[in-house]
Amino acid sequence: MREALESFGAAGKLTAEAVRSARDVRTWGPNLSLQARQLGVDSLPIGTLIALFTGVVLALLASYSFTGAVPRYLVGTLVQKTVMMELAPVLTGLALAGRVGANIAAEIGTMRVTEQIDALETLSFDPVAYLVVPRVLAGVLMFPVVVGVAMFVGLGAGWAASLGLLDLSSAEFLKGARLFFDLFDVRYGLVKAASFGFAVSLLGCVNGLRARGGAQGVGGAATHAVVQSAIMILVLDAFWALVWLLGRTP
Amino acid sequence: MKTRSNDWIVGLTIILTMVGIVAATLFLQQAQLGRRREGATARFRDIGSLQVGNAVVIRGVAAGRVKQIALAPKGWVVVDMELDEGTVLPTDPVVLLQASSLFGEWQAMITPRTAVPVNRDVVAQVEDATDAPSGSLPGAVLPDIAQLTTVAGGIAGNVASVAERVRTAFNDTAAKELRASIRNFSVLSGDLARAVRAQSQNLDSLALVARLGLADVAASSAALRRTMQRVDTATASGALTDILGESRTASRNLREATDRLQRLAQSLEASEANLRGAIGKADTLLGRIERGQGSVGLLINDPGLYRNADSLLVELRALMADVRKDPKRYFSVRVF
Repeated sequence: MREALESFGAAGKLTAEAVRSARDVRTWGPNLSLQARQLGVDSLPIGTLIALFTGVVLALLASYSFTGAVPRYLVGTLVQKTVMMELAPVLTGLALAGRVGANIAAEIGTMRVTEQIDALETLSFDPVAYLVVPRVLAGVLMFPVVVGVAMFVGLGAGWAASLGLLDLSSAEFLKGARLFFDLFDVRYGLVKAASFGFAVSLLGCVNGLRARGGAQGVGGAATHAVVQSAIMILVLDAFWALVWLLGRTP
Repeated sequence: MKTRSNDWIVGLTIILTMVGIVAATLFLQQAQLGRRREGATARFRDIGSLQVGNAVVIRGVAAGRVKQIALAPKGWVVVDMELDEGTVLPTDPVVLLQASSLFGEWQAMITPRTAVPVNRDVVAQVEDATDAPSGSLPGAVLPDIAQLTTVAGGIAGNVASVAERVRTAFNDTAAKELRASIRNFSVLSGDLARAVRAQSQNLDSLALVARLGLADVAASSAALRRTMQRVDTATASGALTDILGESRTASRNLREATDRLQRLAQSLEASEANLRGAIGKADTLLGRIERGQGSVGLLINDPGLYRNADSLLVELRALMADVRKDPKRYFSVRVF
Protein backbone atom coordinates (compact mmCIF):
# COMPACT_ATOMS: atom_id res chain seq x y z
CA MET A 1 0.00 0.00 0.00
CA ARG A 2 2.76 2.33 0.95
CA GLU A 3 4.60 1.38 -2.20
CA ALA A 4 1.52 2.15 -4.27
CA LEU A 5 1.09 5.54 -2.64
CA GLU A 6 4.75 6.26 -3.22
CA SER A 7 4.27 5.37 -6.88
CA PHE A 8 1.32 7.74 -7.19
CA GLY A 9 3.31 10.48 -5.49
CA ALA A 10 6.20 9.84 -7.83
CA ALA A 11 3.75 9.93 -10.73
CA GLY A 12 2.64 13.41 -9.70
CA LYS A 13 6.19 14.58 -9.43
CA LEU A 14 7.06 13.04 -12.77
CA THR A 15 4.06 14.67 -14.37
CA ALA A 16 5.28 18.06 -13.29
CA GLU A 17 8.73 17.27 -14.66
CA ALA A 18 7.24 16.00 -17.91
CA VAL A 19 5.24 19.18 -18.35
CA ARG A 20 8.40 21.16 -17.78
CA SER A 21 10.39 18.95 -20.17
CA ALA A 22 7.71 19.07 -22.84
CA ARG A 23 9.20 22.32 -24.06
CA ASP A 24 12.31 20.38 -25.19
CA VAL A 25 10.72 19.20 -28.42
CA ARG A 26 14.00 18.42 -30.12
CA THR A 27 14.69 15.81 -27.48
CA TRP A 28 11.38 13.97 -27.43
CA GLY A 29 10.12 14.76 -30.95
CA PRO A 30 12.13 12.13 -32.86
CA ASN A 31 11.03 9.42 -30.43
CA LEU A 32 7.32 10.24 -30.54
CA SER A 33 6.48 8.38 -33.75
CA LEU A 34 8.40 5.32 -32.58
CA GLN A 35 6.58 5.26 -29.29
CA ALA A 36 3.27 5.95 -31.02
CA ARG A 37 3.82 2.97 -33.25
CA GLN A 38 4.86 0.69 -30.42
CA LEU A 39 2.12 1.81 -28.04
CA GLY A 40 -0.66 2.37 -30.55
CA VAL A 41 -0.27 0.82 -33.95
CA ASP A 42 1.25 -2.36 -32.62
CA SER A 43 -1.58 -2.59 -30.09
CA LEU A 44 -4.31 -2.48 -32.71
CA PRO A 45 -4.47 -6.28 -33.19
CA ILE A 46 -5.06 -6.97 -29.51
CA GLY A 47 -7.55 -4.12 -29.26
CA THR A 48 -9.38 -5.31 -32.35
CA LEU A 49 -9.50 -8.88 -31.11
CA ILE A 50 -10.91 -7.85 -27.76
CA ALA A 51 -13.53 -5.64 -29.39
CA LEU A 52 -14.45 -8.38 -31.84
CA PHE A 53 -15.34 -10.88 -29.16
CA THR A 54 -16.84 -8.24 -26.92
CA GLY A 55 -19.30 -7.18 -29.62
CA VAL A 56 -20.37 -10.76 -30.32
CA VAL A 57 -20.81 -11.61 -26.66
CA LEU A 58 -22.75 -8.41 -25.99
CA ALA A 59 -25.16 -9.11 -28.81
CA LEU A 60 -25.79 -12.62 -27.55
CA LEU A 61 -26.10 -11.43 -23.97
CA ALA A 62 -28.57 -8.74 -24.95
CA SER A 63 -30.63 -11.20 -26.95
CA TYR A 64 -30.62 -13.56 -23.99
CA SER A 65 -31.65 -10.82 -21.57
CA PHE A 66 -34.28 -9.06 -23.67
CA THR A 67 -37.29 -11.32 -23.55
CA GLY A 68 -40.99 -10.77 -23.41
CA ALA A 69 -42.11 -7.23 -24.05
CA VAL A 70 -38.61 -5.86 -24.67
CA PRO A 71 -38.16 -5.33 -28.40
CA ARG A 72 -35.25 -7.14 -30.00
CA TYR A 73 -33.93 -4.03 -31.71
CA LEU A 74 -32.67 -2.91 -28.31
CA VAL A 75 -29.84 -5.38 -28.90
CA GLY A 76 -28.38 -2.68 -31.12
CA THR A 77 -28.88 -0.08 -28.42
CA LEU A 78 -27.13 -2.16 -25.79
CA VAL A 79 -24.22 -3.01 -28.07
CA GLN A 80 -23.77 0.60 -29.16
CA LYS A 81 -23.97 2.12 -25.72
CA THR A 82 -21.94 -0.52 -23.94
CA VAL A 83 -19.18 -0.84 -26.50
CA MET A 84 -18.73 2.87 -27.09
CA MET A 85 -19.04 4.13 -23.56
CA GLU A 86 -17.62 1.37 -21.44
CA LEU A 87 -16.26 -1.86 -22.78
CA ALA A 88 -14.12 -0.59 -25.64
CA PRO A 89 -12.27 1.96 -23.48
CA VAL A 90 -12.00 -0.15 -20.34
CA LEU A 91 -11.21 -3.55 -21.84
CA THR A 92 -8.81 -2.06 -24.34
CA GLY A 93 -7.25 0.04 -21.60
CA LEU A 94 -6.80 -2.99 -19.37
CA ALA A 95 -5.28 -4.95 -22.23
CA LEU A 96 -2.92 -2.11 -23.06
CA ALA A 97 -2.10 -1.69 -19.41
CA GLY A 98 -0.64 -5.16 -19.54
CA ARG A 99 1.03 -4.76 -22.87
CA VAL A 100 2.12 -1.11 -22.89
CA GLY A 101 2.55 -0.50 -19.18
CA ALA A 102 4.66 -3.59 -18.71
CA ASN A 103 6.64 -2.78 -21.85
CA ILE A 104 7.41 0.77 -20.74
CA ALA A 105 8.25 -0.24 -17.19
CA ALA A 106 10.48 -3.06 -18.36
CA GLU A 107 12.24 -0.94 -20.97
CA ILE A 108 12.89 2.04 -18.73
CA GLY A 109 13.59 -0.22 -15.75
CA THR A 110 16.21 -2.05 -17.72
CA MET A 111 17.75 1.27 -18.72
CA ARG A 112 17.70 2.28 -15.07
CA VAL A 113 19.33 -0.88 -13.71
CA THR A 114 21.92 -0.89 -16.50
CA GLU A 115 22.67 2.77 -15.75
CA GLN A 116 21.78 3.91 -19.25
CA ILE A 117 19.68 6.68 -17.76
CA ASP A 118 22.65 7.81 -15.72
CA ALA A 119 24.63 7.87 -18.95
CA LEU A 120 21.96 10.04 -20.56
CA GLU A 121 22.19 12.48 -17.70
CA THR A 122 25.96 12.44 -18.06
CA LEU A 123 25.57 13.33 -21.73
CA SER A 124 23.29 16.24 -20.70
CA PHE A 125 20.19 14.53 -22.02
CA ASP A 126 17.09 15.12 -20.00
CA PRO A 127 15.88 11.55 -19.31
CA VAL A 128 12.35 12.77 -18.70
CA ALA A 129 12.21 14.59 -22.02
CA TYR A 130 13.90 11.73 -23.80
CA LEU A 131 12.10 8.77 -22.21
CA VAL A 132 8.93 9.92 -20.45
CA VAL A 133 7.49 12.72 -22.57
CA PRO A 134 7.32 10.80 -25.88
CA ARG A 135 5.80 7.74 -24.18
CA VAL A 136 3.22 9.74 -22.28
CA LEU A 137 2.31 11.77 -25.36
CA ALA A 138 2.15 8.60 -27.43
CA GLY A 139 -0.09 7.02 -24.82
CA VAL A 140 -2.43 10.03 -24.71
CA LEU A 141 -2.49 10.21 -28.49
CA MET A 142 -2.70 6.55 -29.47
CA PHE A 143 -4.97 5.08 -26.79
CA PRO A 144 -7.98 6.93 -28.27
CA VAL A 145 -6.96 5.66 -31.69
CA VAL A 146 -6.91 2.07 -30.51
CA VAL A 147 -10.13 2.54 -28.57
CA GLY A 148 -11.75 4.23 -31.56
CA VAL A 149 -10.92 1.25 -33.71
CA ALA A 150 -12.19 -1.03 -30.95
CA MET A 151 -15.49 0.87 -30.89
CA PHE A 152 -15.85 0.49 -34.63
CA VAL A 153 -14.95 -3.20 -34.59
CA GLY A 154 -17.07 -3.98 -31.53
CA LEU A 155 -20.15 -2.36 -33.02
CA GLY A 156 -19.56 -4.13 -36.31
CA ALA A 157 -19.07 -7.46 -34.56
CA GLY A 158 -22.29 -6.99 -32.63
CA TRP A 159 -24.07 -6.11 -35.86
CA ALA A 160 -22.67 -9.17 -37.62
CA ALA A 161 -23.55 -11.41 -34.69
CA SER A 162 -27.09 -10.04 -34.65
CA LEU A 163 -27.47 -10.81 -38.32
CA GLY A 164 -25.79 -14.20 -38.28
CA LEU A 165 -26.68 -15.60 -34.90
CA LEU A 166 -29.80 -13.82 -33.73
CA ASP A 167 -31.87 -13.55 -36.90
CA LEU A 168 -32.05 -9.80 -36.45
CA SER A 169 -32.26 -7.68 -39.56
CA SER A 170 -29.87 -4.85 -40.29
CA ALA A 171 -32.76 -2.41 -40.04
CA GLU A 172 -33.63 -3.64 -36.56
CA PHE A 173 -30.07 -3.54 -35.29
CA LEU A 174 -29.41 -0.10 -36.76
CA LYS A 175 -32.71 1.20 -35.40
CA GLY A 176 -31.62 0.16 -31.93
CA ALA A 177 -28.08 1.45 -32.41
CA ARG A 178 -29.33 4.81 -33.63
CA LEU A 179 -32.17 5.05 -31.15
CA PHE A 180 -30.21 6.57 -28.30
CA PHE A 181 -26.94 7.34 -30.06
CA ASP A 182 -25.41 10.63 -29.08
CA LEU A 183 -22.15 12.22 -30.11
CA PHE A 184 -21.41 12.41 -26.42
CA ASP A 185 -21.05 8.62 -26.39
CA VAL A 186 -18.04 8.81 -28.70
CA ARG A 187 -16.55 11.80 -26.93
CA TYR A 188 -16.95 10.15 -23.56
CA GLY A 189 -15.23 6.96 -24.70
CA LEU A 190 -12.33 8.73 -26.40
CA VAL A 191 -11.64 11.10 -23.52
CA LYS A 192 -11.64 8.17 -21.15
CA ALA A 193 -9.22 6.39 -23.46
CA ALA A 194 -6.89 9.38 -23.51
CA SER A 195 -6.88 9.53 -19.72
CA PHE A 196 -6.20 5.79 -19.58
CA GLY A 197 -3.30 6.23 -22.00
CA PHE A 198 -1.87 9.00 -19.86
CA ALA A 199 -2.17 6.92 -16.68
CA VAL A 200 -0.81 3.70 -18.17
CA SER A 201 2.20 5.31 -19.86
CA LEU A 202 2.99 7.55 -16.90
CA LEU A 203 2.78 4.72 -14.35
CA GLY A 204 4.92 2.58 -16.64
CA CYS A 205 7.53 5.32 -16.73
CA VAL A 206 7.33 5.90 -12.97
CA ASN A 207 7.79 2.24 -12.14
CA GLY A 208 10.57 1.89 -14.70
CA LEU A 209 12.47 4.86 -13.35
CA ARG A 210 12.04 3.55 -9.81
CA ALA A 211 13.35 0.09 -10.67
CA ARG A 212 16.19 -1.04 -8.52
CA GLY A 213 18.48 -4.06 -8.55
CA GLY A 214 18.73 -6.38 -11.52
CA ALA A 215 16.27 -8.36 -13.55
CA GLN A 216 14.13 -9.00 -10.49
CA GLY A 217 13.71 -5.28 -9.97
CA VAL A 218 12.74 -4.83 -13.59
CA GLY A 219 10.19 -7.62 -13.31
CA GLY A 220 8.77 -6.10 -10.16
CA ALA A 221 8.54 -2.71 -11.83
CA ALA A 222 6.64 -4.24 -14.73
CA THR A 223 4.29 -6.02 -12.39
CA HIS A 224 3.68 -2.92 -10.34
CA ALA A 225 3.09 -0.91 -13.48
CA VAL A 226 0.44 -3.33 -14.71
CA VAL A 227 -1.34 -3.59 -11.39
CA GLN A 228 -1.30 0.14 -10.74
CA SER A 229 -2.36 0.89 -14.30
CA ALA A 230 -5.29 -1.51 -14.03
CA ILE A 231 -6.39 0.03 -10.76
CA MET A 232 -5.95 3.51 -12.16
CA ILE A 233 -8.04 2.64 -15.21
CA LEU A 234 -10.91 1.52 -13.01
CA VAL A 235 -10.56 4.59 -10.80
CA LEU A 236 -10.54 6.90 -13.79
CA ASP A 237 -13.52 5.05 -15.23
CA ALA A 238 -15.49 5.76 -12.08
CA PHE A 239 -14.15 9.31 -12.01
CA TRP A 240 -15.37 10.11 -15.52
CA ALA A 241 -18.69 8.45 -14.82
CA LEU A 242 -19.15 10.63 -11.78
CA VAL A 243 -18.04 13.75 -13.61
CA TRP A 244 -19.98 13.28 -16.83
CA LEU A 245 -22.80 10.85 -16.23
CA LEU A 246 -24.05 11.75 -12.78
CA GLY A 247 -27.11 13.93 -13.18
CA ARG A 248 -26.81 14.00 -16.93
CA THR A 249 -29.99 13.41 -18.91
CA PRO A 250 -29.71 11.83 -22.33
CA MET B 1 14.55 5.86 -42.45
CA LYS B 2 13.07 3.90 -39.59
CA THR B 3 11.71 7.10 -38.06
CA ARG B 4 10.08 8.15 -41.35
CA SER B 5 8.48 4.74 -41.65
CA ASN B 6 7.10 5.05 -38.13
CA ASP B 7 5.83 8.54 -38.86
CA TRP B 8 4.02 7.33 -41.97
CA ILE B 9 2.42 4.35 -40.27
CA VAL B 10 1.40 6.27 -37.19
CA GLY B 11 0.03 9.16 -39.23
CA LEU B 12 -1.90 6.83 -41.50
CA THR B 13 -3.31 4.96 -38.52
CA ILE B 14 -4.43 8.15 -36.84
CA ILE B 15 -6.01 9.54 -39.99
CA LEU B 16 -7.78 6.31 -40.86
CA THR B 17 -9.07 5.98 -37.33
CA MET B 18 -10.34 9.54 -37.27
CA VAL B 19 -12.01 9.10 -40.63
CA GLY B 20 -13.57 5.85 -39.46
CA ILE B 21 -14.86 7.35 -36.24
CA VAL B 22 -16.29 10.38 -38.02
CA ALA B 23 -17.91 8.20 -40.67
CA ALA B 24 -19.39 5.85 -38.08
CA THR B 25 -20.69 8.78 -36.10
CA LEU B 26 -22.33 10.34 -39.14
CA PHE B 27 -23.77 6.95 -40.06
CA LEU B 28 -25.29 6.45 -36.63
CA GLN B 29 -26.59 10.00 -36.59
CA GLN B 30 -28.13 9.44 -40.01
CA ALA B 31 -26.46 12.59 -41.24
CA GLN B 32 -27.07 13.33 -44.90
CA LEU B 33 -24.13 15.36 -46.11
CA GLY B 34 -24.56 17.46 -49.19
CA ARG B 35 -28.30 17.05 -49.18
CA ARG B 36 -30.34 20.21 -49.04
CA ARG B 37 -32.75 20.52 -46.19
CA GLU B 38 -35.79 22.66 -45.69
CA GLY B 39 -36.69 24.24 -42.42
CA ALA B 40 -39.89 24.43 -40.43
CA THR B 41 -40.59 25.94 -37.05
CA ALA B 42 -43.26 25.09 -34.53
CA ARG B 43 -44.06 26.46 -31.13
CA PHE B 44 -45.32 24.70 -28.05
CA ARG B 45 -46.13 25.36 -24.45
CA ASP B 46 -44.31 22.17 -23.49
CA ILE B 47 -42.27 19.70 -25.50
CA GLY B 48 -42.34 16.67 -23.22
CA SER B 49 -39.15 14.66 -23.70
CA LEU B 50 -38.38 15.80 -27.24
CA GLN B 51 -34.68 16.17 -27.98
CA VAL B 52 -32.54 17.54 -30.73
CA GLY B 53 -32.11 14.80 -33.32
CA ASN B 54 -35.50 13.17 -32.80
CA ALA B 55 -37.33 12.21 -35.95
CA VAL B 56 -39.90 14.36 -37.73
CA VAL B 57 -42.63 12.17 -39.16
CA ILE B 58 -45.30 12.86 -41.76
CA ARG B 59 -47.97 10.19 -42.17
CA GLY B 60 -45.68 7.71 -40.45
CA VAL B 61 -42.72 8.36 -42.74
CA ALA B 62 -39.53 9.90 -41.35
CA ALA B 63 -39.14 13.21 -43.16
CA GLY B 64 -36.57 15.05 -41.11
CA ARG B 65 -35.10 15.68 -37.69
CA VAL B 66 -35.43 18.13 -34.85
CA LYS B 67 -32.66 20.66 -35.36
CA GLN B 68 -32.94 23.01 -32.44
CA ILE B 69 -35.03 23.59 -29.34
CA ALA B 70 -35.11 26.97 -27.65
CA LEU B 71 -37.14 28.80 -25.07
CA ALA B 72 -39.06 31.80 -26.40
CA PRO B 73 -40.80 34.75 -24.74
CA LYS B 74 -44.30 34.53 -23.30
CA GLY B 75 -43.87 30.94 -22.19
CA TRP B 76 -43.30 29.38 -25.60
CA VAL B 77 -40.84 26.72 -26.69
CA VAL B 78 -39.75 27.01 -30.31
CA VAL B 79 -38.64 23.89 -32.14
CA ASP B 80 -36.74 24.16 -35.42
CA MET B 81 -37.00 21.16 -37.70
CA GLU B 82 -35.02 20.09 -40.75
CA LEU B 83 -37.14 18.48 -43.41
CA ASP B 84 -35.97 16.50 -46.40
CA GLU B 85 -35.88 18.40 -49.65
CA GLY B 86 -39.20 18.30 -51.46
CA THR B 87 -41.19 17.42 -48.38
CA VAL B 88 -44.76 18.66 -48.80
CA LEU B 89 -46.50 19.59 -45.59
CA PRO B 90 -50.16 18.61 -45.18
CA THR B 91 -52.90 21.20 -45.43
CA ASP B 92 -53.21 23.37 -42.32
CA PRO B 93 -50.36 21.52 -40.60
CA VAL B 94 -50.07 20.95 -36.89
CA VAL B 95 -47.05 19.46 -35.09
CA LEU B 96 -47.82 16.85 -32.44
CA LEU B 97 -45.08 15.65 -30.12
CA GLN B 98 -45.47 12.12 -28.89
CA ALA B 99 -43.54 9.14 -27.62
CA SER B 100 -42.61 6.86 -30.49
CA SER B 101 -41.83 3.89 -28.29
CA LEU B 102 -42.13 2.68 -24.75
CA PHE B 103 -38.48 3.44 -24.13
CA GLY B 104 -38.43 7.19 -24.09
CA GLU B 105 -37.93 7.98 -27.75
CA TRP B 106 -40.03 10.90 -28.97
CA GLN B 107 -40.92 12.23 -32.37
CA ALA B 108 -42.53 15.27 -33.94
CA MET B 109 -45.46 14.31 -36.13
CA ILE B 110 -46.70 16.83 -38.69
CA THR B 111 -50.35 16.19 -39.37
CA PRO B 112 -53.39 18.07 -40.70
CA ARG B 113 -55.40 19.95 -38.11
CA THR B 114 -58.35 17.72 -38.90
CA ALA B 115 -56.36 14.70 -37.75
CA VAL B 116 -55.65 16.09 -34.29
CA PRO B 117 -56.93 13.60 -31.69
CA VAL B 118 -60.22 14.52 -30.07
CA ASN B 119 -58.68 15.43 -26.75
CA ARG B 120 -59.69 18.58 -24.95
CA ASP B 121 -56.17 19.41 -23.75
CA VAL B 122 -54.55 18.73 -27.11
CA VAL B 123 -57.11 20.79 -29.00
CA ALA B 124 -56.68 23.60 -26.49
CA GLN B 125 -52.90 23.51 -26.95
CA VAL B 126 -53.23 23.64 -30.72
CA GLU B 127 -55.67 26.53 -30.59
CA ASP B 128 -53.41 28.34 -28.13
CA ALA B 129 -50.42 27.98 -30.45
CA THR B 130 -52.32 28.98 -33.58
CA ASP B 131 -51.71 32.34 -35.24
CA ALA B 132 -48.07 32.24 -34.31
CA PRO B 133 -45.85 35.01 -35.68
CA SER B 134 -43.45 34.41 -38.57
CA GLY B 135 -45.32 31.36 -39.77
CA SER B 136 -44.53 29.01 -36.91
CA LEU B 137 -46.67 25.91 -36.96
CA PRO B 138 -48.95 25.34 -33.98
CA GLY B 139 -47.94 22.43 -31.83
CA ALA B 140 -49.14 20.29 -28.98
CA VAL B 141 -47.69 17.51 -26.91
CA LEU B 142 -49.64 14.30 -26.55
CA PRO B 143 -49.73 12.48 -23.24
CA ASP B 144 -46.90 10.01 -22.99
CA ILE B 145 -46.88 6.61 -21.46
CA ALA B 146 -45.72 8.02 -18.13
CA GLN B 147 -48.77 10.25 -17.86
CA LEU B 148 -51.05 7.42 -18.93
CA THR B 149 -49.37 5.21 -16.40
CA THR B 150 -49.90 7.85 -13.75
CA VAL B 151 -53.59 8.02 -14.60
CA ALA B 152 -53.79 4.25 -14.62
CA GLY B 153 -52.04 4.22 -11.26
CA GLY B 154 -54.63 6.61 -9.90
CA ILE B 155 -57.41 4.41 -11.22
CA ALA B 156 -55.76 1.35 -9.69
CA GLY B 157 -55.53 3.21 -6.39
CA ASN B 158 -59.21 4.04 -6.52
CA VAL B 159 -60.05 0.44 -7.32
CA ALA B 160 -57.93 -0.69 -4.42
CA SER B 161 -59.71 1.79 -2.16
CA VAL B 162 -63.09 0.53 -3.31
CA ALA B 163 -61.97 -3.05 -2.79
CA GLU B 164 -60.80 -2.17 0.70
CA ARG B 165 -64.14 -0.58 1.47
CA VAL B 166 -65.95 -3.62 0.13
CA ARG B 167 -63.77 -5.84 2.26
CA THR B 168 -64.51 -3.69 5.29
CA ALA B 169 -68.23 -3.63 4.59
CA PHE B 170 -68.50 -7.34 3.84
CA ASN B 171 -67.94 -8.70 7.36
CA ASP B 172 -69.68 -11.60 9.11
CA THR B 173 -72.81 -9.58 9.86
CA ALA B 174 -73.05 -8.54 6.27
CA ALA B 175 -72.59 -12.13 5.19
CA LYS B 176 -75.41 -13.27 7.50
CA GLU B 177 -77.63 -10.51 6.24
CA LEU B 178 -76.77 -11.44 2.73
CA ARG B 179 -77.59 -15.06 3.46
CA ALA B 180 -80.96 -14.00 4.95
CA SER B 181 -81.56 -11.81 1.96
CA ILE B 182 -80.86 -14.72 -0.32
CA ARG B 183 -83.27 -16.88 1.68
CA ASN B 184 -85.93 -14.16 1.48
CA PHE B 185 -85.25 -13.87 -2.15
CA SER B 186 -85.80 -17.60 -2.51
CA VAL B 187 -89.20 -17.30 -0.81
CA LEU B 188 -89.99 -14.34 -2.93
CA SER B 189 -89.02 -16.30 -5.98
CA GLY B 190 -91.45 -19.09 -4.95
CA ASP B 191 -94.24 -16.58 -4.52
CA LEU B 192 -93.39 -15.02 -7.77
CA ALA B 193 -93.46 -18.40 -9.46
CA ARG B 194 -96.92 -19.12 -8.08
CA ALA B 195 -98.13 -15.74 -9.15
CA VAL B 196 -96.69 -16.36 -12.54
CA ARG B 197 -98.48 -19.69 -12.76
CA ALA B 198 -101.79 -18.08 -11.78
CA GLN B 199 -101.27 -15.29 -14.20
CA SER B 200 -100.37 -17.87 -16.78
CA GLN B 201 -103.72 -19.53 -16.29
CA ASN B 202 -105.42 -16.18 -16.54
CA LEU B 203 -103.47 -15.53 -19.63
CA ASP B 204 -104.64 -18.85 -21.01
CA SER B 205 -108.22 -17.80 -20.41
CA LEU B 206 -107.55 -14.45 -21.92
CA ALA B 207 -105.89 -16.14 -24.82
CA LEU B 208 -108.99 -18.29 -25.29
CA VAL B 209 -111.19 -15.24 -25.20
CA ALA B 210 -108.85 -13.48 -27.47
CA ARG B 211 -108.87 -16.43 -29.80
CA LEU B 212 -112.67 -16.35 -29.87
CA GLY B 213 -112.56 -12.63 -30.38
CA LEU B 214 -110.13 -13.12 -33.17
CA ALA B 215 -112.47 -15.67 -34.68
CA ASP B 216 -115.23 -13.09 -34.49
CA VAL B 217 -112.93 -10.55 -35.98
CA ALA B 218 -112.09 -13.02 -38.69
CA ALA B 219 -115.78 -13.61 -39.35
CA SER B 220 -116.36 -9.88 -39.37
CA SER B 221 -113.45 -9.51 -41.64
CA ALA B 222 -114.92 -12.08 -43.96
CA ALA B 223 -118.23 -10.31 -43.88
CA LEU B 224 -116.51 -7.04 -44.50
CA ARG B 225 -114.61 -8.63 -47.34
CA ARG B 226 -117.88 -9.82 -48.81
CA THR B 227 -119.34 -6.37 -48.32
CA MET B 228 -116.32 -4.86 -49.96
CA GLN B 229 -116.73 -7.31 -52.80
CA ARG B 230 -120.30 -6.18 -53.16
CA VAL B 231 -119.19 -2.60 -52.97
CA ASP B 232 -116.63 -3.42 -55.56
CA THR B 233 -119.30 -5.05 -57.67
CA ALA B 234 -121.59 -2.07 -57.13
CA THR B 235 -118.79 0.23 -58.08
CA ALA B 236 -118.16 -1.72 -61.16
CA SER B 237 -121.87 -1.55 -62.23
CA GLY B 238 -122.30 2.20 -61.59
CA ALA B 239 -124.80 1.76 -58.79
CA LEU B 240 -122.48 3.40 -56.39
CA THR B 241 -122.60 6.61 -58.39
CA ASP B 242 -126.36 6.60 -58.01
CA ILE B 243 -126.01 5.86 -54.35
CA LEU B 244 -123.58 8.69 -53.97
CA GLY B 245 -125.89 11.04 -55.83
CA GLU B 246 -128.78 10.08 -53.64
CA SER B 247 -126.62 10.32 -50.63
CA ARG B 248 -125.61 13.82 -51.72
CA THR B 249 -129.29 14.75 -52.05
CA ALA B 250 -130.12 13.16 -48.76
CA SER B 251 -127.25 14.99 -47.21
CA ARG B 252 -128.48 18.29 -48.61
CA ASN B 253 -131.95 17.56 -47.30
CA LEU B 254 -130.53 16.57 -44.02
CA ARG B 255 -128.53 19.78 -43.89
CA GLU B 256 -131.67 21.82 -44.63
CA ALA B 257 -133.61 19.91 -42.03
CA THR B 258 -130.81 20.55 -39.62
CA ASP B 259 -130.97 24.25 -40.41
CA ARG B 260 -134.65 24.27 -39.85
CA LEU B 261 -134.26 22.31 -36.69
CA GLN B 262 -131.62 24.77 -35.60
CA ARG B 263 -133.92 27.69 -36.26
CA LEU B 264 -136.72 25.88 -34.45
CA ALA B 265 -134.42 25.30 -31.56
CA GLN B 266 -133.58 28.99 -31.51
CA SER B 267 -137.33 29.81 -31.51
CA LEU B 268 -137.84 27.29 -28.78
CA GLU B 269 -135.07 28.94 -26.82
CA ALA B 270 -136.77 32.33 -27.24
CA SER B 271 -140.16 30.83 -26.33
CA GLU B 272 -138.57 29.13 -23.39
CA ALA B 273 -137.15 32.45 -22.27
CA ASN B 274 -140.52 34.11 -22.66
CA LEU B 275 -142.22 31.22 -20.93
CA ARG B 276 -139.62 31.36 -18.16
CA GLY B 277 -140.37 35.09 -17.81
CA ALA B 278 -144.12 34.52 -17.88
CA ILE B 279 -143.84 31.72 -15.37
CA GLY B 280 -141.77 33.99 -13.20
CA LYS B 281 -144.30 36.74 -13.42
CA ALA B 282 -147.15 34.26 -12.89
CA ASP B 283 -145.33 32.87 -9.94
CA THR B 284 -144.94 36.34 -8.53
CA LEU B 285 -148.59 37.07 -9.28
CA LEU B 286 -149.74 33.82 -7.77
CA GLY B 287 -147.66 34.51 -4.73
CA ARG B 288 -149.27 37.89 -4.28
CA ILE B 289 -152.67 36.32 -4.89
CA GLU B 290 -151.92 33.64 -2.37
CA ARG B 291 -150.87 36.23 0.14
CA GLY B 292 -154.20 38.01 -0.48
CA GLN B 293 -152.69 41.02 -2.05
CA GLY B 294 -154.54 42.90 -4.78
CA SER B 295 -158.09 42.56 -5.98
CA VAL B 296 -157.81 39.04 -7.20
CA GLY B 297 -156.12 38.03 -3.99
CA LEU B 298 -158.81 39.58 -1.98
CA LEU B 299 -161.35 38.01 -4.28
CA ILE B 300 -159.87 34.59 -3.81
CA ASN B 301 -159.05 34.80 -0.17
CA ASP B 302 -162.21 36.72 1.01
CA PRO B 303 -165.31 34.38 1.08
CA GLY B 304 -167.72 37.30 1.56
CA LEU B 305 -166.49 39.00 -1.49
CA TYR B 306 -166.84 35.72 -3.37
CA ARG B 307 -170.39 35.41 -2.28
CA ASN B 308 -171.16 39.05 -3.28
CA ALA B 309 -169.56 38.45 -6.61
CA ASP B 310 -171.58 35.32 -7.03
CA SER B 311 -174.82 37.04 -6.22
CA LEU B 312 -173.76 39.84 -8.55
CA LEU B 313 -173.31 37.33 -11.32
CA VAL B 314 -176.72 35.87 -10.60
CA GLU B 315 -178.26 39.29 -10.79
CA LEU B 316 -176.30 40.06 -13.96
CA ARG B 317 -177.48 36.83 -15.51
CA ALA B 318 -181.10 37.74 -14.62
CA LEU B 319 -180.57 41.22 -16.00
CA MET B 320 -179.24 39.87 -19.25
CA ALA B 321 -182.18 37.54 -19.57
CA ASP B 322 -184.59 40.43 -18.99
CA VAL B 323 -182.71 42.55 -21.58
CA ARG B 324 -183.00 39.79 -24.16
CA LYS B 325 -186.61 39.45 -23.28
CA ASP B 326 -187.55 43.11 -23.52
CA PRO B 327 -184.75 45.20 -25.04
CA LYS B 328 -186.90 48.28 -25.57
CA ARG B 329 -187.23 48.56 -21.90
CA TYR B 330 -183.63 49.36 -21.69
CA PHE B 331 -182.59 50.69 -25.16
CA SER B 332 -184.25 53.41 -27.33
CA VAL B 333 -182.91 53.71 -30.91
CA ARG B 334 -183.81 56.77 -33.02
CA VAL B 335 -182.51 57.48 -36.50
CA PHE B 336 -183.75 60.99 -37.02
